[in-house]
Amino acid sequence: MRVLLVDDHSIFRSGLRAELGGAVEVVGEAATADEAVRMAHELRPDVVLLDVHLPGSEGGGAEVLRRCADLLGEVRFLALSVSDAAEDVVGVIRAGARGYITKTSSGAEVTRALTSVADGDAVFSPRLAGFVLDAFGAAQGEQAVADDELDRLSAREREVMRLIARGYAYKEVAAELYISIKTVETHVSAVLRKLQLSSRHELTAWALERKLL
Amino acid sequence: MTAAEAPRAIAARPARPVLRRPRRMVLGGVCAGVAHHLERPVAVVRVVTVVLALLGGAGVLLYLWLWALVPLDEEEAPRVRRAFPGAAILVSLAGVAALVALASAHGGAPGGDRLIPPVVDSAGLAILALAWTLVLDRADPRHDERYRRVIGAVAGGLLVTEGLLLLPFPHSTVSTVLGVVVAAVGIVILIVPRIVGFWTDLMAERTARDRESQRAEIAAHLHDSVLQTLAIIQHRAGPQSEVARLARAQERELRDWLFAGTDPFAGDVATELRTTAGELELAHPVRVEVVAVGDAAEVHSAALIGAAREAMLNAARHAGGDVAVYLEVGEEAVEVFVRDRGAGFDVDALPEGRIGVRESIVGRMERAGGQATVRSDARGTEVRLRLPLEAARA
Repeated sequence: MRVLLVDDHSIFRSGLRAELGGAVEVVGEAATADEAVRMAHELRPDVVLLDVHLPGSEGGGAEVLRRCADLLGEVRFLALSVSDAAEDVVGVIRAGARGYITKTSSGAEVTRALTSVADGDAVFSPRLAGFVLDAFGAAQGEQAVADDELDRLSAREREVMRLIARGYAYKEVAAELYISIKTVETHVSAVLRKLQLSSRHELTAWALERKLL
Repeated sequence: MTAAEAPRAIAARPARPVLRRPRRMVLGGVCAGVAHHLERPVAVVRVVTVVLALLGGAGVLLYLWLWALVPLDEEEAPRVRRAFPGAAILVSLAGVAALVALASAHGGAPGGDRLIPPVVDSAGLAILALAWTLVLDRADPRHDERYRRVIGAVAGGLLVTEGLLLLPFPHSTVSTVLGVVVAAVGIVILIVPRIVGFWTDLMAERTARDRESQRAEIAAHLHDSVLQTLAIIQHRAGPQSEVARLARAQERELRDWLFAGTDPFAGDVATELRTTAGELELAHPVRVEVVAVGDAAEVHSAALIGAAREAMLNAARHAGGDVAVYLEVGEEAVEVFVRDRGAGFDVDALPEGRIGVRESIVGRMERAGGQATVRSDARGTEVRLRLPLEAARA
């Protein structure tokens, strides 16, 4: 798996590089948004591990994602941030990232997340799952009636999100709900899609505030 | 007393209280301040001042001089409270002067020169009343916004009325000119407080905006620098090390300040659980992540918080590593899940002495009208707490 690391702190990049598992080949490191866009286009890595906050650019990681929009089909983006403030999460996810992990995650966790994203799955942290439940009004009992409804979660999606928020791994979610891991991944991807496409007020308000739309 | 003794006598006496005007004052706080300084009764100082004032106005000058030069007491509440209703008295005097002017106009003797002094007096007094409310009463809680507005309206209305009533007396051009001028002054008095209020609001708003943008700038800077560094420290130091724990605790505090604002509504479940998580991370080699969903602002159940705390403490003590805490305020119930990745234990085989789970968690929840279940296996332990909303808000 070929990975491009984008983070403005060289100490962090080298530390992370040392910790990543053997399956990960770091093909490049970028420290700025411009560098990241250029290298992503040149190297075409499987996954770009993208810091949400890059100095010297207006929109940080979200801006990189916008300028790499033509690559989204073949290159996948995993956002990395120190903060799990809702607006940061929503900004990068809506710009096209397949998931989101915090900088305090261990090397093994990052490796696992990179693998999932490379396989086309979405990576949800407990906090992101909690945010989704809040933003889609799931705690207040709102539920999608039709499958293609973008602004609410289905009952099953809600169950999956709740378990992820409770700290369950995908495998444990599958065991708990008596479904296959593949089905869990399908649900999570569906939620990710809703998060990216929904026009729910809670989601767009944050994005607008950050000038992300 | 001889000259040689004098210095010793002065030194032996305790120093007089400093000359300061108190912030709770009648007019200017001068008499009270002087009385305190000289350690004499206030009444005596007041009588002396009045007597001096009657002797050619010396008392008045002395009073004004002290008012201008003696600083306010700094140790009391910051706002000045003035008992003397100066503005109201000035407005009343303006009213009397206006009546005198109208009466002499009505008296009918031709030649309007007699009118000038009372009309000028009434206008001057009304202006003084307005100035009093705008300057001296501005931040005074005893004379609130409504009082000031009434004074302004009465002073302005008085002059406008006076001016309009003077117009129909065709004694001379003097009364006409006086009427027009006084009415105009009245209109200005009616408008000025609004302009001043508008201006003050505008300035306050601008200051608030500046402060907010400054805060946002600081937050952005801290976010890009300090938080990043703290994350690197945690990453490099290894998740369970002492350094990483300290860095994480700092990160949590800083982030709470940056994102939650400076005014967290204390006491609700989510805040309590986050605080507990921070404390546990400092005391144990553990990473506690609290995720809260739904509106927790009105949930204050002590039993739920206590049971959740106990569960988190158990997880930190016996399991360590990563602990996930999930709080959901739903339509019908509040639920808390505390999950750890420890070796687990046999729930049914807990010795009676393990009061933690049996009493502090299960018993406590049941007494509060909720329920608690514990599930434990080799992959970890999860404590589930559930409390109906009615019970949680009671």
